[in-house]
Amino acid sequence: MAEETSVPERIVSRQVLAIPQRFSTGPVMGRFLRELRDHKRIMANKCPKCGRHQLPPREVCAVCHVEATGWEELPPEGAIRDFDVVYYASPDPLTGETRQVPYVLCWVDLDGTQGDAPLWHLLNVENLAEVRRGVRVRVVFADERHGTTEDIRHFEIIREEASPGAGTGAES
Amino acid sequence: MSKNRNAAIIGSGMSEFSSHREDVNQPEMIHEAVIEALRDADIALEDVDCLLHGNMELFEMVHQPDMWHVLGDGARGKSGLRLTTGGTTGITLACAADNLVASGLHDVVLAIGFEKLQEGHTTGGITNMADPLWGRSLQTGALTGTGAQKVIDEFGEERAKLAAMKYRTIMDEHAMRNEKAHRRLRLERQYIKETADNSPPLVGELRMIHMCSQSDGACAVVFASEEKVRALGANPAWIVDHETVHREETMVFGSMLSTQRAAAERLFARAGIANPRGDIDVFEMYDPSAWWGVDWLRDFLLLEGDEHLKMIENDEIVLDGPFPVNPSGGVIASNPIGATALVRVAEAAMQVRGTAGAHQVSKPVRRALASGFGGTLWTVLMLLSKEKPERRVNTHG
Repeated sequence: MAEETSVPERIVSRQVLAIPQRFSTGPVMGRFLRELRDHKRIMANKCPKCGRHQLPPREVCAVCHVEATGWEELPPEGAIRDFDVVYYASPDPLTGETRQVPYVLCWVDLDGTQGDAPLWHLLNVENLAEVRRGVRVRVVFADERHGTTEDIRHFEIIREEASPGAGTGAES
Repeated sequence: MSKNRNAAIIGSGMSEFSSHREDVNQPEMIHEAVIEALRDADIALEDVDCLLHGNMELFEMVHQPDMWHVLGDGARGKSGLRLTTGGTTGITLACAADNLVASGLHDVVLAIGFEKLQEGHTTGGITNMADPLWGRSLQTGALTGTGAQKVIDEFGEERAKLAAMKYRTIMDEHAMRNEKAHRRLRLERQYIKETADNSPPLVGELRMIHMCSQSDGACAVVFASEEKVRALGANPAWIVDHETVHREETMVFGSMLSTQRAAAERLFARAGIANPRGDIDVFEMYDPSAWWGVDWLRDFLLLEGDEHLKMIENDEIVLDGPFPVNPSGGVIASNPIGATALVRVAEAAMQVRGTAGAHQVSKPVRRALASGFGGTLWTVLMLLSKEKPERRVNTHG
């Protein structure tokens, strides 16, 4: 019988969980997602007491403890409040795919927003040096929309000089 | 709301913290912390009335891990609760233990926090904190560079970056004196700039060197009533008070409510603390990154302007300084998430009880503060004292 001289092998149990999930969105978030999917409209709701917008909308104003009953469409344009340039190539836990880096996330105050309600999404930008607070951006909607976060493809920087419809070639 | 009697921490234990504890399974790892805590308190399992158990289930994806862990923690046949509040779980366990003992429901409560992050997917688990209806696909775990950007915008790039790396280096100097700490890098002050420049960027100016670790580990803390403290002849760290502040949202990081400042204002007002830096002797802060550590120091201590940067620049927060922060090395050194916030409480209690060994601060400790962080910027604060609190005042609600 062979003598055991080394540490015995520690067996590791390897498992992968994949869980299909199905969340009810409710009437308030449901309306927001429906407007986005069907009409490319960004609808915030509004607290009747303090007047602040909620985006995405929530049933109540958590500050005033009242039902947020009013609805207002916000334009798909605004200014960057905060941003994250992500270099860390994390796997997207929802798909298992490794994300291409670097990519940019931004929080955008859409024009006319009352209170703290920046819209959070990806920013599609080639030159990272262009990403600064206050930069004007617009929403680019996805062609096919299903009532999800991905109905917005990303934000893009608004270029004042570029004439609309001219950009068929490569941008420098 | 008032509390019926005083509660104190009379013992604590921690497993070894490491990136991979593949030498033990979950109940075995927890057992290490439980045994050490019972020995430190000089009690037996029979003396424990109730066990509190907590972690973040989404990391290891084990439903009801408290069932699996019964053989490791001794919970069979005892009263118990399981709590899971994200990153704050550990200190929420401490708050619940205080409530259970101070109310008179139990005399001795054992709180256990653990995580084996290598058995799951940390960024995946944290990503699921995002609202399931909006933004999960955008969430990058707990990584964000907005905290760094905020400090840079306010104080300029050079001063801000130096302060963050000075803070990081001080935390490592502390970790070097704590044999339980996971990451002990032996960083040197003369190479601060090079160390940062050579560290891979994660998000914006948040680099790998600034960020907390992913650790495996467990922590256990014994809470006892005033009567038990007397009967056992224990060395207590009394619980003065605790405070939790939530925010509303799951998806927005903005310049809104500072839960750190709100929690500190409420807790200090109740405890009669007018000058936090003078009235508190040591602070164990849940610092998820060097940038947040720097920024939150100002809010927690109710400071204004650049006072917090000066504290770092002038070495006030070092172990032997006038206001030591994280003598343990903090969360950047060791971060088994479900245990992390309980480790802050345990470390604060060790400083009060004088049992921190090589990382015991040199000044006498009359009061110690511990914080927890979780969810999207929730805060829990707990204040401990050497002196038994005169009366329990709690003006909640």
